[in-house]
Parts: sequence; C-alpha cells; structure tokens
Amino acid sequence: MGKISKPKLKSKIDFIIRVAGEGGEGVMSCGELFAKAVARTSYHVFTFITYPTEMKGGYAMTQIRIRDITIYSMGSFVDCMVVFNQEAYDKSISSLKEGGILIYDPEFIEIDESRNFVKYPIPFSQISVETVGRSLGKNVVVLGILSHIYGLAHPGLEKLIDDRYGSKGKKVVEGNIKALKAGADTAKEIGVAIVMDLSASEPANEEYMFISGNQAVALGAIAAGCRFSAGYPLTPSTSIFETLSKFLPLVGGRTIQMEDEIAAISAVIGASFGGEKVITPTSGPGLQLMAEQMSLASMLELPIVIVDVQRGGPSTGLPTKTEQGDMKFAVYGSAGESPRIILAPTGVEDTFYQTIRAFNLAEKYQMPVILLTDQSIGYRKATVKMPDFNKIFMVDQFDRKTKVKIPNAEHIDLVQRQIPTEDELKDYKRYKNTKTGISPIARPGTPGGQYLATGLEHDEYGKTNQGPENHLMMSKKRFRKLDQVSHAFERNPMETYGDPSVRIGIMGWGSTEGAIREARYLAEAAGVKVRHIHPHTISPLPEQQISKFLHRLKHLILVEENLTGQFAHFIKAKFGVKPIEVHKCEGMPFTPDEIFNAIMKVARIADEDNITNI
Amino acid sequence: MKTISQTFNTYKSKTIKPVWCPGCGDYGVLAALDKTFKALEFKPEDIAIVSGIGCSGRFSHYFNSYSLHGTHGRALPTATGLKTVRPDLHVITIGGDGDGLSIGGGHIAHAARKNVDLTYIILDNNVYGMTKGQSSPTTPLGYNTKTAPYGVYEESLNPIAMFLAYNIGYIARTTSTDMKGMLSILKEAIEHKGFSLVYIMSPCVTYSVLPYAKLKEIVKPLPEDHDTSDKMSAFKYAYSDEHMYTGVFYKEEKTSLDERLKEVFHIAHTSKTTSEIMEEFK
Repeated sequence: MGKISKPKLKSKIDFIIRVAGEGGEGVMSCGELFAKAVARTSYHVFTFITYPTEMKGGYAMTQIRIRDITIYSMGSFVDCMVVFNQEAYDKSISSLKEGGILIYDPEFIEIDESRNFVKYPIPFSQISVETVGRSLGKNVVVLGILSHIYGLAHPGLEKLIDDRYGSKGKKVVEGNIKALKAGADTAKEIGVAIVMDLSASEPANEEYMFISGNQAVALGAIAAGCRFSAGYPLTPSTSIFETLSKFLPLVGGRTIQMEDEIAAISAVIGASFGGEKVITPTSGPGLQLMAEQMSLASMLELPIVIVDVQRGGPSTGLPTKTEQGDMKFAVYGSAGESPRIILAPTGVEDTFYQTIRAFNLAEKYQMPVILLTDQSIGYRKATVKMPDFNKIFMVDQFDRKTKVKIPNAEHIDLVQRQIPTEDELKDYKRYKNTKTGISPIARPGTPGGQYLATGLEHDEYGKTNQGPENHLMMSKKRFRKLDQVSHAFERNPMETYGDPSVRIGIMGWGSTEGAIREARYLAEAAGVKVRHIHPHTISPLPEQQISKFLHRLKHLILVEENLTGQFAHFIKAKFGVKPIEVHKCEGMPFTPDEIFNAIMKVARIADEDNITNI
Repeated sequence: MKTISQTFNTYKSKTIKPVWCPGCGDYGVLAALDKTFKALEFKPEDIAIVSGIGCSGRFSHYFNSYSLHGTHGRALPTATGLKTVRPDLHVITIGGDGDGLSIGGGHIAHAARKNVDLTYIILDNNVYGMTKGQSSPTTPLGYNTKTAPYGVYEESLNPIAMFLAYNIGYIARTTSTDMKGMLSILKEAIEHKGFSLVYIMSPCVTYSVLPYAKLKEIVKPLPEDHDTSDKMSAFKYAYSDEHMYTGVFYKEEKTSLDERLKEVFHIAHTSKTTSEIMEEFK
C-alpha cells in the first residue's frame, strides 16, 4: 500500500470555527448567534457544544461547521479559533489546523509564537469595556470580528441579537449592537483578512429548521401525535421536556413536571392507559430509576416512549458530556424478561424521524420503546429540512394489516393503537393470545371494554393467573410481538454503506454515524475501501442484515463511545465474531480523523496478512 | 323513569372474587365503594381504579371498571397521569399504609400540590399483611413484628397531620366497620373537586396490630362543632393522644389541576398546528 496522505473533502466550502472560553462568558450565545445567522443562508450548519457542569467557570466551547453539502459530523480540525482565556487556548490549540486563524485576547493569553497560525491578537475584553462599559459584551465583539471574516450582514445579526436579548430591555440590545459594530470595525482597522462572503450566498431555497437533537425529539413527538409528557429535569435531556412544555399546550396536549423520574414514568403509563400517546425524556440516572416501571409497561402491554439522552457515567458522572454508556442497561435492565425496543438515532434529522418511529413501534407493538440519543446529539444543532406535512398518513385503529414504513421526509405513517371491534367487546379479552401477540386495547370510557391491567401474571382477560401453562403462554405472547418487530426490521432496507465485496467493515451505533461516514470517505480517498453498517435498532437487532454484512468480512472494526465495548459485547455474543474494538471514553465524541486513523491501522494489518499469505 | 342506579346492581367484578382473609376490614370498604358508585350513578366504563401493591392493592381486581394494578407505591403518580389526560373519568386510587405511606409516601405531597382531581383511599391496617407481618409506618413504637422482633424502634406516623400540612383540600378518616360513615365520606370525597384523601382504618385479622375491639375503644367522631374549614382545629384533633378522631377533618375547595392546565392553554392563548410550531424553528 502506498503512502497514506490525508485527502481533502470534495465539497467546495467546508470550514470549522471554534469559540472557546469559560462557562458564563457568552461562548455559547456567541457561537449560537453565528450559527443561526449562517443557517439562514443556503449553507448547512452543524454545531457541537460542550460545557462544564457548573453554572459559571470551567472550559466551555462551541464548534460550528459550515458546509455546502450535508454535514455528518463536527469534523476533526478547526479552521478558525477564538479563545477567551489561557485555559481555553491550552485545551483547544491542538485542534487548530496548521495555518489556521487564531484570534485571542492578548491581555489574558500567552501563545506559543513558534506555531504556524494566522494570529490576530485583539483585546476584545478591553473593546467591550470601552464600548459598553463592561467586559461582558466581549462575546458580541467576537461575533463582530467573525462577521467581518466571514461576511455576515449586520442587519440579520442585529435581528438575532434583538430576538435573544430583547426581553432584557432596549438598552441591552443597543449595547450589544454597539459591541457587534466595534468588533467588526476593529477587525477591519487592523486588517484582519476576509475569508469569504457568506451573505453573498443565496438564501436557502428549501425550508429548513435549525434545531438541536433535543428539540428534534420534542418536535418529532408532537408530529407523531403525542399529547402528553411527564418529566423530571435531568441534564442533558432537560430541553426536551422544556420544549414539550412550551409547545404541547398549543396543540391541545398537556405536560406535568413530576417529583422524580419514577413518578414521571408512572404518569406516562397512567396516561397511556387512558389512551394517549406519551413520552418521558431523561438521561441514564433517570433511566435507572424508571427500570421497574418499564417492566410494568411491558407487562401491562402499554405503549410508552422513553428518551435517554446519554451522558458520562456511572452515577452523577459527567452530566454535560457525552457517552454511549447506557446501552446494556436499556436492553437488559429489567427484573424478569420484559420485551422492549431500543432505537439509536444517528443525528439531529434522524432523531426527528426515529422519534416518530418510536411512537409507531410503541403503539403498534404495545411496549416501551427507548430512544437512545446522547449529549452530543442532544446539544448539537443542525439544519434539518422541513418535513412535508401533506405526506403524513394516519393508520386506522382497526387496521391490523398495514406494513408501516420507516418515517422519512417523503412519507410519514402515524400508527394509532388498535382498539377492539364491537364483536370483540362482547367477550373482551384484553390480552388475547393472538398470532401476532398484539391484542387490541380498549380505551377507558368504552362500554364493555372494562378490563384489569395488572403487573401480576394474568390470563387473556387480565385476571391474575400464576399457573405454569399460563405463564409460559403469556410470556410467549409478549415476546411474540418482539419477533414481529424483528421481522418488520428485516424487511427494511439495509443500513449498510460501501462496496459489499470489501473485506474491511466498520460498525457503530447512534451518534458515531457521521464521524464513521466521514472517516470512510477519508479512507476511500486514501485508497482504503471500507464498508459500514450502522443499525438504528439496537434491540432487537436486524440479525439477518448483520449476518449478511459480516459474511466474507475479514476485519470488523467496532466503534463506540464507552470504555468496555457494550455494543461489541452484544455483537460478539450474537454473531461469534472478534471485532477490533475502538473505544473512546473521554466525554467527547469521536472525530472523523480518530476513526480514520483506526481504519488505516487495520488496513496496514490487512496488508501484512496478505504478505504472510503469499 | 329508569335510572342508571337501577341498571347496575353492583359494580363488582363478576369473575374475580376477593381473596382477603375472612373478617378483613377491606370487605367492608369494598361494599361501601360499590354502594357509593351506585349512589353516584356512575357508568362502570367511566370508572378507573388505580391501586398499588398489598392486600389493598387487590381492590382494582374486584370492580368491573377500567382497572390498573401497578407497582408498589406508584398508584398515585400513575393515577395523576391518567386523570391529567382523561378528566372525564372518575379516578379512584387505593393503597395501604405500606404502599401509600412508606414506599409511595413521597408522592402524596406532590399530588396534593397539583390538586389533581381524584380520590385517594388509604386503608390502614398498621402492618404489612400480604407479606405476613412486617412493620409498617403506622405500626406503634415497641410493637413486636417479624422485622422488629424486639419491638418497633421507629415512631409511627401521624398521617392526618401530615395530610393537613400538605394542604390537601379534603381530608377524612373513618373505619371499615362504620358503613354509614364510609358512605357519606366516600361520596363527598369523590364529588369534591381536586385531590381528596379518605383514610380508612381497616384492621388486619391475621396480624392484629389494632384489633377491632381496641379500635372501637379509641375511635371517636369529631365533635359536631368542629369547623371543617379551620385547619388549626383539624390539627388539634389530628394530634390527639386520647382518641382517634373520625369524620371530615378539613375541607377547602381549590382550583384543580385540570382547571390550572386549562388556564395554561388560556395563557398561551393560541392554538397551533404542528407545522406552525415547526415554522418557529426556521
């Protein structure tokens, strides 16, 4: 194999900006305003945020990637970096590209002069004090500097500033606008080079939303017809419940904040019993508390959707950092055997559609569906194409045949839970042992539909029955639904990418999809072909698809963001393979470069194998 | 004219019969609740009974209603979710002293704060009966149980005082032997707007911590001049060492959760479609 050189991506415009400083310095708002302004152009925007758990202080950064084509990951190296303090400089500087732009406040930061960067020492703190009388406006000064470098028109930015700070009064808005101008003017005066003119781009021709992964869950739930949520605030999931609390009442829904996660899941079980589509968002520690009630929902065969925005663990762990650490708990965390479905969305747009899918699966198969996202998706913001609301189709409550498609921008089926027919109500068996395992649910208020939903083992009517034959029959009934789910999954298109004849394969789940995809592009450009499988369904797995993928594969690379390789454990046990495991357990997502390096290492091993074979 | 009450002789399940010990106080409560539904002329399909775990947890099995028998201690938040989305249903929650005051004790304060419009019936037998005789939060100090064989080493709770402190809008105590008292209290509690708490002393005959005879001795109706809107007077009777007072301790009509959530809709004063909401994220 020839010399490995890092290839360029094919897009014409693709650059990354990072603003880093201390929590509470306005790093987030500076980054977000910039990203929002860019999102209104025809370019795609993708943000990544990390901040400390504390209210103030500690390293915080926001990274914004801008590209003319779809963005899959936060990228690897930064083109332009703004640092507010020494710690931010020290922690970030290794991510800045050779020859990249470095903007820093010389009053607070000493830099390594020997490095080859385009350096702009600009005293933003001092400029802020001179303009608005205090240093707190320095983030907007920086926004001004960035607007100069990247050609963002001020009227648009001023409008965004007004939207953001309007509630704090006219004076605050005016001060910020002054700071914005001061930043841009200073950059111009000292001759900061203009990199490009974003405002010259045409406005987006299609309708886009600029939303976070957490907002995507809330909007997906609303689109799916969810009208009730009970929650308890838990970082990093809280903004899901906040968004639902703001918007559900507008569509006739209701949200209630409960006293803890146990109460939250209990309330959604009660509401689901009442006939509503329900959701409760949480993170790992909350999921643990919900475990007993998840089993109850499995036993009562009630549809519920749970979102776990995973964070670093165990225990309180790293509340504001990312990790794929809850997979095993989500799949196995149950006393007794309780069927459930685990979905792992791969990005912001996917989260929107997987949330709708979660409701469809829950309502159809009458069991808990856990949506496993993580902090990196939850806090990430991306441009997402507006779905076409003329392409939403309701599946009838008596329809027991329709094969529901995976929702996408072109077609969204909305499943309504099956209800009993008049005939069935004459001798209503809530837990009728049907061929599919699915038995229609009567909605309270329906005459003749009265039944008992008990967590005790019960017969087809719901009456408690501890007999051996009955327990076997009902356990099989509940798990037969899961078989149905598996069959339905196998019918879906393969979730694989790349040439099926290639001998190196890479597998991941959830939020690593984008980084793996870009790493694969990088590898391909460097002459190494890889195929990629990324199942959206963690449990039950689309086993035939994975078997097919593993067939004739020589090296399997398994990528996940945890220490012990939870998914790898699962795959090894199910398929008897020995993957090369690539783990990252640092609270930060993989960059494409890190995965690219892993692929190239494996490619070298593969090469050596070939040599020995000769 | 044919009334609904004539249509339904009983709301009890025709197929599931109670399995409580003979002489258990819960039989009396079952009969009283059945009669109350009849008096209120409820349709069985509009009744939802949510219960927890323990002897009292079985209540949901014995009615021909929409019944949910969930996990230990979680009946109240489960019922809260149900009532929030289905204000049209008559939601009754039932649990015992272990379910309601121990494992699920933390939920009462919040159901009270929400003032969710349901009736919570707690049946107190001062012991864990179903699991055969362990201490409960209301087992008296010093009493020998299987988990405190040398005597209970914790003070027992004063539930009525606790409910008063939680600002519950309807608080009453009665006994499973007092059919008249149960009927009037249950009817009033179910009709009460907002969260109502009916505390029924229902002695266990197998682990007889508080035998019927002893109960009869200590029980005393609240004096007729007790003003049910006077919380301090209610506290005084709740803290009585001499007697276990029965009757309505406190009554106050407050805005219910349903009304407050309707108000939320009013404050938002705009209804939107899903696509209009998404427009806001452009």
